[in-house]
Amino acid sequence: MFPGFEQIDGVSSSPDLSLVQTALYASGIFALLMMVLTFFAVLSLPIFFGTVFALEALLKLANNVPDPVGKLSKIFGLVFRSLRRNVVRTSLTYVALFVLTGMLSTIYSGVDLIDKITQEKEDNVQVIMTERFGAPSMMPRSYANRLKGILKELPPEAQPRNIDDDFMVWSFVGATLDLNKRTQENALFMLALEPDAIRTMLSYQGLSKDDMSEEAYAELMQSIDAMKKDKRNVIIGPERLELMGKQVGDSVKAYALGYKDVTYDFKIVGSFPAEVSRWSKSALMRLDYFNDTLDGAKTFSGAEVRPVNLIWVRMPNKAAYEALATVVNEPKSFSAPQAKMETASAAIGSFLEGLKSIVFAFKYIIMPAIAVIMCLVVGITITIGVRERRSEMAVMKVLGFLPWQVMGIIIAEAVLIGVMGGLLSTWLVYFAPKSIEAFKAFTGLKFKILFFDKISAPILITVYGPLLGTFVGLIGSALPAISSRKVKVSEVFAQVT
Amino acid sequence: MPLVEVRDLYKSFTRGSETIEVLMDLTLDVEAGEFLALMGPSGSGKTTLLNLLAGLDTPTSGTITVGGERISDYSESELARWRTRNVGFVFQFYNLLPVLTAYENVELPLLLLPLTGAQRRKQVENAMGLVGLSDRMTHRPGQLSGGQCQRVGIARAIVTDPTIIVADEPTGALDSASADAALKLLDILRSELGKTILMVTHDPHAAERAQRIVQLEKGRLAHQNLTLTH
Repeated sequence: MFPGFEQIDGVSSSPDLSLVQTALYASGIFALLMMVLTFFAVLSLPIFFGTVFALEALLKLANNVPDPVGKLSKIFGLVFRSLRRNVVRTSLTYVALFVLTGMLSTIYSGVDLIDKITQEKEDNVQVIMTERFGAPSMMPRSYANRLKGILKELPPEAQPRNIDDDFMVWSFVGATLDLNKRTQENALFMLALEPDAIRTMLSYQGLSKDDMSEEAYAELMQSIDAMKKDKRNVIIGPERLELMGKQVGDSVKAYALGYKDVTYDFKIVGSFPAEVSRWSKSALMRLDYFNDTLDGAKTFSGAEVRPVNLIWVRMPNKAAYEALATVVNEPKSFSAPQAKMETASAAIGSFLEGLKSIVFAFKYIIMPAIAVIMCLVVGITITIGVRERRSEMAVMKVLGFLPWQVMGIIIAEAVLIGVMGGLLSTWLVYFAPKSIEAFKAFTGLKFKILFFDKISAPILITVYGPLLGTFVGLIGSALPAISSRKVKVSEVFAQVT
Repeated sequence: MPLVEVRDLYKSFTRGSETIEVLMDLTLDVEAGEFLALMGPSGSGKTTLLNLLAGLDTPTSGTITVGGERISDYSESELARWRTRNVGFVFQFYNLLPVLTAYENVELPLLLLPLTGAQRRKQVENAMGLVGLSDRMTHRPGQLSGGQCQRVGIARAIVTDPTIIVADEPTGALDSASADAALKLLDILRSELGKTILMVTHDPHAAERAQRIVQLEKGRLAHQNLTLTH
């Protein structure tokens, strides 16, 4: 399991669910998603018909443009007339395509998010060294220097670009404000690290410029600068401050929970921006101060003091990581205790291991199934439309329209509904997470969606949606269009008369 | 020289392993500007003959020449282009597109011809004027009576200024007054505009308007110039 700081802090639980629970959970989400999408699909019907009306009005304007534009606009105008012919059927088809595209793009976004977390990046690979067999991981301080030594011995192309900036040691510090009253309010769980690491390495943990507003980022930078001025200075998240009944500027005396007779004298010099909810209950102290307090310290159990929990290194590429991992994973490099090296994404990947089969099912079974259902929905609707208008098509052919022209009108109808459904639906899926984040920032409410602090949808879905709609329109209308092409004018003429 | 020359026409359809002979050994001439009525019992092949003469189908053997063009050798797309320029169609049930206005229905075949917007407008207005529906151009078929729909159908048939007008039971769905008006229109088209009219009908009153009545029986020509007796 990925030893995320929040798990250490006891804030969030892991998705340690049984398969049945997970399946039920997924089905519930699926049903809820369908209902929400249907609601929005119905709400967006005026937009759909408004757009269709606007496009038709534009086409009508083009009617007066010299040919061939004028002439083509008149022929293409038939597509819009046909869509308006049976408003209920057109609406239902649109709603179905909206919902299905929405589900597909939501699943795609979810899978993409998980993929992004779990997939290796070729460049700037973040790696973690932890104790191989112990949980929680506890390593002696000497391991940090030894690892730095190993990094320096690697071939130049395999070394981090800047060992100081690309190296971060984490020590988890448990303390209480009152040894006799160890309540939640008095608890203080901290992460000891070098202040500069917040800027260089911790930015990957939701503290980058992209994770907050400009003002909030400037505020965070100020707090880091303040922390660097004195080794006793600390940054504490707003929620933790509230629990403790403290504020920025206060001094705090805390007592170590893991070591005998170790006390800390902190000065709170900053807090995390309120909009970075992930860090709102967290606290950071300086590693040098933590190390100073440990000189001569003993654990309550009498065990060796091993205060280093994690060591993070940013390697220039995957090959460099593999070179480092080979050395670290050799038992002789770090023997007491043994250490292991893995990529951060691999560690997170194991955290999400429980979801792997669900993700696989979504990716390779449900997503293609939805695409097939979409094609069927379009196919059935257009087939009904073609059957209803068989004599009209025959008449058009009698008047001199060529088969491909009749076929083009049918396909254009399907593609138009597909594109509109795909476009509006994926816009919803793209902008909904942004709206939720904006709502959270505006109201100050903090909540997770599934296991994620922050959700987002890739912008590419706004392109994929209409493309999918086009594809579904083309595939779904293929058979009815071919059928319309094959309408024999003489047969229908005879049937009509 | 006749406008339409049909020589040794043979048409059969295959249904499963069975071959159905619809037209056999048919030879027929139609002069330019002639009003010809095709009559005969159901299954005699009159609609099939009309389809072949109008370029909607191709014969199994034999030739059809219209205005010097041997249309029996044309491909499907060649026939489509030929129809747009040379044939106007009048249907029993009008077959107007319900989503289009009367004006747009009449304009439809013109969209396939190399005409400017102004030319199209002029031709549509002329055709609508000729059938007496200049004041109904923005109406949809659902807003028109059966007789008016048929007049729109006739306007659509003549709007491209075709050589031949093909009418399949044009009065079959009309009351007697509307039927009379429609037939009068066809007669005017022949007498004043010189159009050649080929009309399939069961109605002896409608057939009386024609200059010549051709009787078909079991796929063969029974009479080239039938006289109706009442």
